[in-house]
Amino acid sequence: MDVLIQIVASGLTLGAMYAVATIGLSLVYGSLNMLNMAHGAILTLGGYICYAAIVHAGLHPALALPGAALICAAVGLLIYFSAALPLLRAENFETNIFIATIGIGSVIENLMLKGFGPYPIPQPLAVDGQLVIGNVHIPLQNVFILGVALMLMVAVAVLLQRTSAGRAIRATSMNRDAAQLMGVRVGRVYAQVLALSGALAAVSGIMISSIATLTPVMGGDPMLKAFIVCVVAGLGNVYGAVVAAIALGLLEAATQYVFGVRWSFAMLLLLVILVLIWRPFGLFGKQQVVRL
Amino acid sequence: MVETALEIVNASAGYAGRIVLDAIRLSAKKGELTAIVGPNGHGKTTLLKAISGLVPVTSGEIRLGGARIDRLRPDQIVERGVIHVPQGDLLFPAMTVHENLLMGAYANSGGLADRLDFVFTLLPKLKERRNQTAGTLSGGERRMCGIGRGLMAGGEVLMLDEPSLGLAPIVIEQIYEVIFNLRREGRTILLVEENAERIAEHADIIHLLDNGRIVWSGLGAELMARPEIIETYLGV
Repeated sequence: MDVLIQIVASGLTLGAMYAVATIGLSLVYGSLNMLNMAHGAILTLGGYICYAAIVHAGLHPALALPGAALICAAVGLLIYFSAALPLLRAENFETNIFIATIGIGSVIENLMLKGFGPYPIPQPLAVDGQLVIGNVHIPLQNVFILGVALMLMVAVAVLLQRTSAGRAIRATSMNRDAAQLMGVRVGRVYAQVLALSGALAAVSGIMISSIATLTPVMGGDPMLKAFIVCVVAGLGNVYGAVVAAIALGLLEAATQYVFGVRWSFAMLLLLVILVLIWRPFGLFGKQQVVRL
Repeated sequence: MVETALEIVNASAGYAGRIVLDAIRLSAKKGELTAIVGPNGHGKTTLLKAISGLVPVTSGEIRLGGARIDRLRPDQIVERGVIHVPQGDLLFPAMTVHENLLMGAYANSGGLADRLDFVFTLLPKLKERRNQTAGTLSGGERRMCGIGRGLMAGGEVLMLDEPSLGLAPIVIEQIYEVIFNLRREGRTILLVEENAERIAEHADIIHLLDNGRIVWSGLGAELMARPEIIETYLGV
């Protein structure tokens, strides 16, 4: 029983972090058909900005987190105006933007390497203490991460479901032409989605670095897992991505406990292969059916 | 003299160098039903897309109430009141009927409740299905949802692209009854239809579009009295 609680607690934390990292990626793919390869670098950048804001600028942690999210949202906008917008005017957008964002990610990573050095740095935004359930001690940090992640997910869901701007984002991802005929300015939607994705990446970067450490390349692993989650859920399906992220987090925690840490990634990939054999468009993905 | 709502002056348009519309000149008068008929693949849909800004106009002008709209973005054209109900509906399949209708009012959300009432009164089926996702509707219901979504925008000119496409005859009748009712209420409608006979009686003017050009314009009764035109261009 204690073991189960332990696994669920750490699995949920992992899953929540993956979910926050994935939502942005999934939103961007859904509305622009754009695989943002700079996502991991933005996530790392968020972690470093939070660190710098607290340690160097002496900001209160409660300001450092939204501050980092805001700056990374601006980076998202920058990617829209510098790469996505010009490439959208040419052909082969999907391939071009893929390569362009690899470049942008690499620039951001190297800037962080220059600025902060290659050595791991602890993330100062951490909560001390633990929650005790029976014999199980759960760090409050994990509870905090789970809480923030849930809040963000609810906020994104409310935005998408209940607001006019959110409906425009969903409409654009379902049918770009139809959205334009409703009066949606799709360029603005793209910019909004990239900014939102940047902000979410920053928060997930802060979360991940708070239970591991900050390094310039720390974004690679969560981005890879976010891609895996996206593919398992069906590319562009945001709600499916949240469910898949949490499921994969739980699976990872369970595998780590039962088989050992080194098996967790292999297990993850095995599951992905099985899912894709069973449902090639992802668990919640749908094959595009055109009916007249 | 009836006021002109939408005016197309020598407009040409096409995709990637291929001209689909060749110096089109026509106008839609306020409160009238202007119909464009012609064989498939001869530019009817492209004409509507050029008006709504989805396809760039390469030369000529499109004017709404005298002001040029042919250099504007699609969203700006919608804002000015030209509403395009596209061929095949292009509903948002994962959204409910209600959300689809809300999207229709995206650019113009003033008086939302009244317009929703109006659409639900005109198309009661949509009220029944309001919480169903659009992807689960039948063909006729989807068409009604597409038209309802267009009506939610209010707008000056309602453009309908082949509202009868792919529907059973009885459903086509229902759809056209709705459209003719809108005409009676004084809506300005620009209608694209393959079957001239279907609309001959109700259209205020019919333009025959063949190979990217307007080859004949006149009243429905005149067209029906010219079997040679119908045979040549519409293959009936």
